[in-house]
Amino acid sequence: MQSRERVNKSLTNAIALGVIWAAAIATVGALGTILLYVIVNGIGQITPTFIFTWPHGVNMEGGIWPTIQATLYVTALAMLITTPIAVLAAVYLAEYAVQGRLVRTIRFAADSLASVPSIVMGLFGLSLFVEGLGMKFSVIAAALALAFLLLPIIVRTTEEAIRAVPKYIRWGSYGLGASKWQTVSRIVLPSALPRITTGVILAAGRAAGETAVVIYTMGTMINAPVSPLDPGRTMPVDLMLKAQEGINLPSAYGTALLLVLMVLAFNLVARFIGRRNRRMQG
Amino acid sequence: MAGDPDLTGHDVAPEMCADTDAALRAPEPPKQPPRRALMKITPATYLKEAALKNLFLLCAFVAVAGVALIFIFVGIKGWPIFGKVGLLNFLGGATWLPTQGHFGILPLIVNSLLAMTGALILGGPLAVGTAIFLSEVASPRARAIVRPAVELLAGIPSVVYGFFGLVLLRPIIASLFGGLGFGLLTVWLILAVMIVPTIATLTEDALGSVPEGIREASYSMGATKWQTIWRVLLPAAKIGIIDAIILGMGRAIGETMAVVMVAGNAGVIPDGILKPFLTLTTVIVMDMPYASGDHTTALFGIAIVLFIISMLFVAAIRVISRFGKQVG
Amino acid sequence: MRRIVVALAGTALMLAGLLALSGCAASTTASTTQLTVTGSTTLLPIAEVSAEDFMAANSGTRVLVSGVGSSAGIESVTNGTCDIGTSSRELKPAELSLGLVDTPVARDAIAVIVNPGNPVTSLNTSQVADIFSGKVRNWKEVGGPDLEIGLVNRDEASGTRQAFLELVMKGRDFDPTAAVLPGTGQVRSVVAQSRIAVGYISLGFVDSSVKAIVIDGVAPTPATVADKSYPVSRVLHFLTKGEPQGLAKQFIDYVLSPTIQDSVVPDAGFLPMSAGVK
Repeated sequence: MQSRERVNKSLTNAIALGVIWAAAIATVGALGTILLYVIVNGIGQITPTFIFTWPHGVNMEGGIWPTIQATLYVTALAMLITTPIAVLAAVYLAEYAVQGRLVRTIRFAADSLASVPSIVMGLFGLSLFVEGLGMKFSVIAAALALAFLLLPIIVRTTEEAIRAVPKYIRWGSYGLGASKWQTVSRIVLPSALPRITTGVILAAGRAAGETAVVIYTMGTMINAPVSPLDPGRTMPVDLMLKAQEGINLPSAYGTALLLVLMVLAFNLVARFIGRRNRRMQG
Repeated sequence: MAGDPDLTGHDVAPEMCADTDAALRAPEPPKQPPRRALMKITPATYLKEAALKNLFLLCAFVAVAGVALIFIFVGIKGWPIFGKVGLLNFLGGATWLPTQGHFGILPLIVNSLLAMTGALILGGPLAVGTAIFLSEVASPRARAIVRPAVELLAGIPSVVYGFFGLVLLRPIIASLFGGLGFGLLTVWLILAVMIVPTIATLTEDALGSVPEGIREASYSMGATKWQTIWRVLLPAAKIGIIDAIILGMGRAIGETMAVVMVAGNAGVIPDGILKPFLTLTTVIVMDMPYASGDHTTALFGIAIVLFIISMLFVAAIRVISRFGKQVG
Repeated sequence: MRRIVVALAGTALMLAGLLALSGCAASTTASTTQLTVTGSTTLLPIAEVSAEDFMAANSGTRVLVSGVGSSAGIESVTNGTCDIGTSSRELKPAELSLGLVDTPVARDAIAVIVNPGNPVTSLNTSQVADIFSGKVRNWKEVGGPDLEIGLVNRDEASGTRQAFLELVMKGRDFDPTAAVLPGTGQVRSVVAQSRIAVGYISLGFVDSSVKAIVIDGVAPTPATVADKSYPVSRVLHFLTKGEPQGLAKQFIDYVLSPTIQDSVVPDAGFLPMSAGVK
């Protein structure tokens, strides 16, 4: 090869690699900017008062305790509803399903469900749960709408987790004379459990941060919901309203920071569980 | 009776062998906590197996039920607007003044497409570049920083993105470029960052599923890293990358909260990238609080349009994947 | 693993039970111990603080306050979704026959605000209307610098916008290319940060970050609102379906009492009803 071509090749390579590095740095930089900005502006707000008291006063001073409660409540309820169904659906798709039109339809439906814009999901929740079933603005209406939103996500991660279980483990189980369900329930699922859990926790993080779905199903009233029929305001909704009203910006920063911390926590727990799994499989 | 017929190579529960009873009677180590012995398999077991399988099928069907329900319950409330205004007038009408009876959503459609396209142009290369970095270029230490960063970006709620855009980005753009800081430019920047995780994760997967041997072959012929990436890997992962980009497009066009805080929400096609504009998603969140009658119906009609658009994206991915498999 | 299946089945049963329960959800708005108040965001500060104090003074009651817009409040109270609807605008002609009873609770004015760095300090009503309809696009046409006007409007759910439309625009349409912002505070912060911006907010929210314009020679102050010389003033309303009764009446009376009128209302930047000159 001519030496000029060789130089050209190296030069292009160097430039291209530089651009690729720049892309990665830009991505990390974007994250860093957002995090830093929210942390720096919000950290002053995070006091026990902020977390554990109710808002009061003309400008909504005080704390955001009821919104924290509402967020945790609706997230927990949504996960409770969707996880059993999603896991069993994934079991079907991974273990029992035979390729055919039925499975194709199910997968297309799952993908469509996953790509529904969350505001459409919110209007759906409004139409079916709040008005149609008469639940009014309530935790349960929001949880049901969220459950539909999260279903395809958990199905996908659970299916991957199940498929990741090596085949020879199943063969061993069948070789001992176990039935399909015995194999699935006693061997495959426990083995895939850490990965499934990771997926569920990440989905919970997504649920906690949802705004458009919750605002049309749970309302915007500040309230610490007790029964699932109570309305409430979750943290993302609270942040949106505070940002739009623009009256109490420090409080908005505080809410934003708490939200980010919550998502971070979900992420770290999911990662920790995943790492333990890998270590155990060693 | 002998388990499921094996048509596709799925694992099959073989027939019971006669030795099971003996195996069941085998003594267990005394020190361990009592473990449940394997059940005896009786004819009832097979009934139970079938019942369970159908239960799981039912669960999987919830997804289909969900899509159907969304169509039904959003459709019920939105369908009348197509009849009232006419489908062509609705989709093609150029005036959106709902309180005065004008329900033409063409400006909204155009604005949504403009927002999505710009975000894609900015965010697509950024995402693919990051994915290439993670898959081909990064050292394990760099990967340990960048990959969690991408995951974290994926997890940040869209309100936080919008909030960030509102309080930091908008004033900066306003002071740099004049104007109020609302508009396409601001939306593009925020949306671009939001779709990076979506596109990057899938692209990284696509690159990762290219067999290692292909890379080795390329290097052994003297190609540089970049030549390998550009001429071998990217074409090989083309389908996956296109899928990723389409998914990113779907995410961008469906995004509401982040856009509504920085777009400025004027119901017209903007005559500049620094002018306020309204999209299919933001119109719903702005108008729902006070809309009534036909206006509300029109908003639900827009929701139907959005839903169909997102399903079209999913269908497009399927078609492209199938086409790609046929070709390559 | 049987335990897990049992757990899942139990969860499913529980959820079925929950759904059944919610099906017979009793309407909460007719309760004597819970009150829902919804509507104008302008009225939110008054409504929320009054609710807090009311709940503190009357244990066992719950007053739930939310605000998305005057029109939403009117619609909610009309169809029974809430007990008290709050509005910062007058009822439209079409709404007069809905059987709503209007109890004014505070006085307010709408101030046109510009950035403190904007040299313009005084305009007349027709100039303001020209600006907000898009007829005037550059500050130099009204005595300011040669810069494009950054028009900031409120969303259509806003009673403030409706009131402004009636009192100032007088039938002319808003410029459709204006930025539409969904909150008073946002309008204020955008105007505070941008030299070219102009918007309108309730007088109660004007602070030192923005400058209120003198209109038709009258500056917006509590005094000029009280004697009605400031042209853009209005009344804030609590609306009920029919005469207020029960808990709603108690709450409205509470809001009209000196406890609220003399402290909370002025704190929020408005004027008590008694400040009006008959």
